[in-house]
Amino acid sequence: MLNTFTISFRLKNTYKANSIIYSIKGLPILNKILPDRLYKSGGLKVFANIVSVLWEIIGTFLGKFLYVLLMLFLMATLYDTNQADTFLHIFTLLTVIGAISNTYMFNPTKDKYYAIALMNMDARKYAISNYAYSMLKVIVGFLPFTVLFGLGVDVPLWLCILMPFFVVAMKMFAIFYDIWRYKSTGVVTNENSLDKFRWIAIALLLALAYGLPLIHVVISRTLFIILLAACLPLGIYGLIQILAFQDYKKLYKKLLTPDNVYMVKNASSTDVIRKNMEKSIEYDGSATSNKEGFAYFHDLFVKRHRKLLTKSAQKQSFFLLVTIAAVLAVPRFVPEATEILNQITLTFLPYFVFIMYMLNRGTTITQAMFMNCDHSMLTYRVYRTPKVLLGVFKERLKTMISINLVPAGIIGIGLALVLFTTGGTDDPLNYLVLFVSINAMSIFFSVHYLVLYYFLQPYTISTELKSGTYKVAQVLTYLVCYFMINLRLPTIQFGIATTLFCVAYTAISLVLVYRYAPKTFKIRL
Amino acid sequence: MELVIENLKKNFEKKEVLKGIDFRFEKGKIYGLLGRNGAGKTTLFNCLNQDLELDGGTFCIHDGKNRPLEANDIGYVLSIPNVPEFLTGREFLKFFLEINQKQVKGQKTIDEYFEFMNIDSGDRDKLLKDYSHGMKNKMQMLVNIIANPNILLLDEPLTSFDVVVAEEMKEMLKSIKNDHIIIFSTHIMELALDLCDEIVVLNKGVLEEIENSGLDDQELKDKIIDTLREA
Repeated sequence: MLNTFTISFRLKNTYKANSIIYSIKGLPILNKILPDRLYKSGGLKVFANIVSVLWEIIGTFLGKFLYVLLMLFLMATLYDTNQADTFLHIFTLLTVIGAISNTYMFNPTKDKYYAIALMNMDARKYAISNYAYSMLKVIVGFLPFTVLFGLGVDVPLWLCILMPFFVVAMKMFAIFYDIWRYKSTGVVTNENSLDKFRWIAIALLLALAYGLPLIHVVISRTLFIILLAACLPLGIYGLIQILAFQDYKKLYKKLLTPDNVYMVKNASSTDVIRKNMEKSIEYDGSATSNKEGFAYFHDLFVKRHRKLLTKSAQKQSFFLLVTIAAVLAVPRFVPEATEILNQITLTFLPYFVFIMYMLNRGTTITQAMFMNCDHSMLTYRVYRTPKVLLGVFKERLKTMISINLVPAGIIGIGLALVLFTTGGTDDPLNYLVLFVSINAMSIFFSVHYLVLYYFLQPYTISTELKSGTYKVAQVLTYLVCYFMINLRLPTIQFGIATTLFCVAYTAISLVLVYRYAPKTFKIRL
Repeated sequence: MELVIENLKKNFEKKEVLKGIDFRFEKGKIYGLLGRNGAGKTTLFNCLNQDLELDGGTFCIHDGKNRPLEANDIGYVLSIPNVPEFLTGREFLKFFLEINQKQVKGQKTIDEYFEFMNIDSGDRDKLLKDYSHGMKNKMQMLVNIIANPNILLLDEPLTSFDVVVAEEMKEMLKSIKNDHIIIFSTHIMELALDLCDEIVVLNKGVLEEIENSGLDDQELKDKIIDTLREA
């Protein structure tokens, strides 16, 4: 048993360390310097192993710390009920939720998939030893914080110490139920796709956890102690059943299908993205096009991806219209807000860089372009001839800009209206600048994402995102936009400067695309 | 017309995959490219298709005089078929015919092309994502042939076909070989011997022609295996 655990732990650590090295190799410049031999390099391996072990330790404590602090301690202090009892009340109900939704045993993780499905390790030994380890982590991870925060709200020390054991006992009993269900019906619980009854139970328990204290109802300390006393033997019974169960191999065979393993939990997995993108193709036989050549090709792409391309822009537009209507109504009900709103339109324009960034769907759209179109088309040499490539680029740019301009136009007009209805401005140029600069930002982001895609084409033939430079460019874009949140600048100056920047960026990047994209836009091998 | 490769080199980090390929491929012949796993057959194709930068050497078309390869000169059929899944077979062909108008000789109707490839009329207006692996492969082969490139690179193209379709494809390749240089990579030696006019072996990063004059099939097979074993 111990041997199986050690092997599985080392296996997990090895691929974690390899993923760390892989990420380092994904960074620009470094990827040129660092050789593939790196995976063999002792020093770096030790470093990656240390990072991986540190991550394991942080993972043990950090989540529990945040959980106890935010979900229990801080929440318990919000009500005017007895804090210690409220703390225990929320804890008890959330523990039940955790027991049915966070089982460890029935989570189809990659660790299990590699070890059991691919490497054919002894499923029972793997399951039990790793489960024991994860339960140990629960106790060790919880204990300092249930003691620290429990004492903070005057829960007796002995109860604080027993709280983590309550969690483990509850989880073990829940596992026993799932195993029993599997034995009697053959249905395997997959904690990443819970059935609707469990969701209803979770919602109900959540409502009870945070709702009951509002009406001054909390589980009394005596009741908690009774529950604790009842739960511990149930947990031990669960543990005995877990140990007695022999058919882990069959159970995991059902649970650890590639679909389960790569779905939900790891939504960034390329397979899932590719499958989802493939599903996004809409075809009812009627959508066709009268255009020719690459315009025809692109037109069909847009028509077959209408939902993906335009639906969320429509949702955004609707949401923005409602928001703007609400903001316009504010001065009627809260007259003192009028002046503040007026000031916002005159000094908060930099904040809208971030908003426009958040609204733009360039990444998703270029991803769809790659997965459903360029992934295959780039293998045809003729598709990469400057004429075809730039022809398609032009059509795409028009589409990207027009999709994103709708919500941008609404914000632009909305801001101008807010300015007008909250007392206006001495300089009418403000209206124009608000409208133009917001639209310029929208065009900028559309151009930016498409140009990045054409310059760095970050995907491989197996649809993996492999360009470190692309990731860095995305993070930088985010950071710059995020930085704008804190800037307060007069609308006219900032608006004009932004518009000029957007125009210049667009012009320069388009020239560069026309010159270099035929060389840079290809499949990564 | 010839495809002339001179001293072509490609390394991945320090590993020299292609160590200086020198070869002249002639029009009108099907070349069977054999090599062991990892020998660099796909790398060679990727270099010729200009998907990878070379680390040395050149290649060009010699047609009276030397000229560099253009996009229209090359058709590359990958072992895993890649077709735009959001289009129907008919739409894909229409698009391809339109962007290749200048290259297509004696253009036929779209349905005639489907007939040529034996694609059923019921399948022609289905989305390519609903095509089987073999049908996607047929489409990929078809658009590459329509574009009428001087050079056709085929990376294990027949492995996913059933025996009947594979036979059809072999006949089809034989029927078009006079106008093209066809380089056909495969692991199946019988297929190479049956279909190809010349056998070339990629071994230790160099390309070597297997002389077959005066040898019977078994002797030729033995010779190929011996060459491949020299690792």
